[in-house]
Amino acid sequence: MAWLVKDRLQPYQPTPSEPYLTEAIRKTIAEKYFPRYPRKQAALLPLFHLVMHEYGFIAAGAIAEAAAFLEISEAQVQDAVTFYEEFRLSPTGKHVVSVCRSISCEVCGHEALIKKIRDVFGIEPGETTDDDLFTLFEVECLGLCEMAPAALINEEICGNLTPEGFVATLKQLPKEAKHHGNGQH
Amino acid sequence: MAFNGPVLLKNIPADPAQRKLLHYADYVARGGYATYRKALGMPPADIIKAVVDSGLRGRGGAGFPCGTKWTFLPKDLHPRYLAVNFDESEPATFKDRYLCEWDPHILLEGIAIAGFANSIANSYIFIRGEYHKQFHILEAAVQEAYDNGIFGVKHPGTDIVHNCYVHKGAGAYICGEETGLLEALEGKRGWPRIKPPFPAVAGAFAKPTIINNVETLACVPYIVENGAAAFKAMGTPSSSGPKLMGVSGHCHKPGVFEEELGLKMSTLIEKYAGGVKGGKYKGAFHGGISMGILGTDQYDAELDFDIGRKYGVLGLGTACVTVFNDTTDMVRVARNCVRFYAHESCGQCTPCREGSAWAHKILNRLVDGRGRPKDLDLLLEIGLAQGIMPGTTICGLADGTNWVIKTILQKFRGDFEKVVKSAVVQGVAVTVGGVKV
Repeated sequence: MAWLVKDRLQPYQPTPSEPYLTEAIRKTIAEKYFPRYPRKQAALLPLFHLVMHEYGFIAAGAIAEAAAFLEISEAQVQDAVTFYEEFRLSPTGKHVVSVCRSISCEVCGHEALIKKIRDVFGIEPGETTDDDLFTLFEVECLGLCEMAPAALINEEICGNLTPEGFVATLKQLPKEAKHHGNGQH
Repeated sequence: MAFNGPVLLKNIPADPAQRKLLHYADYVARGGYATYRKALGMPPADIIKAVVDSGLRGRGGAGFPCGTKWTFLPKDLHPRYLAVNFDESEPATFKDRYLCEWDPHILLEGIAIAGFANSIANSYIFIRGEYHKQFHILEAAVQEAYDNGIFGVKHPGTDIVHNCYVHKGAGAYICGEETGLLEALEGKRGWPRIKPPFPAVAGAFAKPTIINNVETLACVPYIVENGAAAFKAMGTPSSSGPKLMGVSGHCHKPGVFEEELGLKMSTLIEKYAGGVKGGKYKGAFHGGISMGILGTDQYDAELDFDIGRKYGVLGLGTACVTVFNDTTDMVRVARNCVRFYAHESCGQCTPCREGSAWAHKILNRLVDGRGRPKDLDLLLEIGLAQGIMPGTTICGLADGTNWVIKTILQKFRGDFEKVVKSAVVQGVAVTVGGVKV
């Protein structure tokens, strides 16, 4: 992603009654992560991994709260958060499906996977199914090349995929469970 | 030069059914951490000397001598940090993932020894964001090491407590560049820094910092245990030691294998990876895509640090091979690689940000059958203008774009000419904006 400008106009989110940075998140960061680094700012990535795990995306309110918590400016937080591919500024479906499109996966049949998903679910990479079941992303090399074509469903590794088998797996994704892609326990 | 069995993969059986994650107790039962205990009784200077003498060169891609890097740390400037580069994002590279998925403690032992030798205060293992499973494995392993007094204790004879932390990235190839990694560690966007100052003087949090690849550190216990001479007995004079080599793409048995440096790529593919699948060998990336491609007549290239000089590529890279059979369209391969750089460019330097994006557009045009004859020269011109070597960018990401375009165009020009010719014959791209081109 990097230099590609992300849409800074985040979708409207009603102001929650509770802060985005829950007591549990603040406690984990303060006790586990702050002692690790000479500066509080360095806990930015771990903090937003926790936010992603909790909400599945990063709301504008969370950025403002994080800035106060890490004792840096909102601009600095925005600067860092918009750089990283895994930090998403808008909500996704219940599951996140990341299909690898780099060289080993491409020569081993990544395109057939995407085509099959397009045919069955009617979505392109970057889009979410109508029933909000999953959002499809095409990502660069996942380092799963020996099992190409490969993908991640949330955090789970799926390798040696066939179009039919992968679509069957996607159809069986739990309808209720709310998992997010970037959890850190 | 002889390779007598695995060094790095000694605890990981080749048979997938027998592989299991080695916990601390399993690792110790196989003699693990004995070298660390031995190292604690040695003068740190002797450890560094052994690593210098072994000729261990960085396994992450650049091949910088590891021991020399350690000697760059300014004397008596503390605290010092060690950043372990586990941001393994180079396409088709998965050796570090494989190693740490089964045997994380070999890395931790390397970190412990390097930490002692260099009086390191904090070691940060920077693991890429997509490695969720490996992150949890590593966190658990680090906790085991803490519980057993490997970390969180003072280096003997000093007041420096050595801590080890796992820091997870969030999806950016550029964080594998050493200063980009440091920026990400500090909680900023992963923009590579202008050097100097070099990280050894002012790295993480502006303190002296060593940055080593996972596999490099995993080699350290062997060197300390068996001596520099034993390490040098493997490989070639300029490239000593064992190397993890991955094979993927068009082959029957893709995976990670260990051999000594200097191994012929054809041997790696045929003896270990089951040979080329679906046709004859056409070409291969031998070290991730950034090093450029090996041509059809370079099947027997020796995988060592001299490969760049001998075979017209940038260097050894990660020694993870992607094989292509003769049904592969090299124009599409080039497009895939250039798209990767266009996507992963951090955007700081104009030649890389704009150059890779425009090269991607040209390649899209070629793949779609709308190529123009002069596109090939234009593509080459854009490619050659970017990178550290023409001196137009801060980091080496653009050199990858440069070498991919350059080597694929040189070695597989026929593929490109074919698509342009068919476009011209069909009259698709004869005019652009009403002007004949």
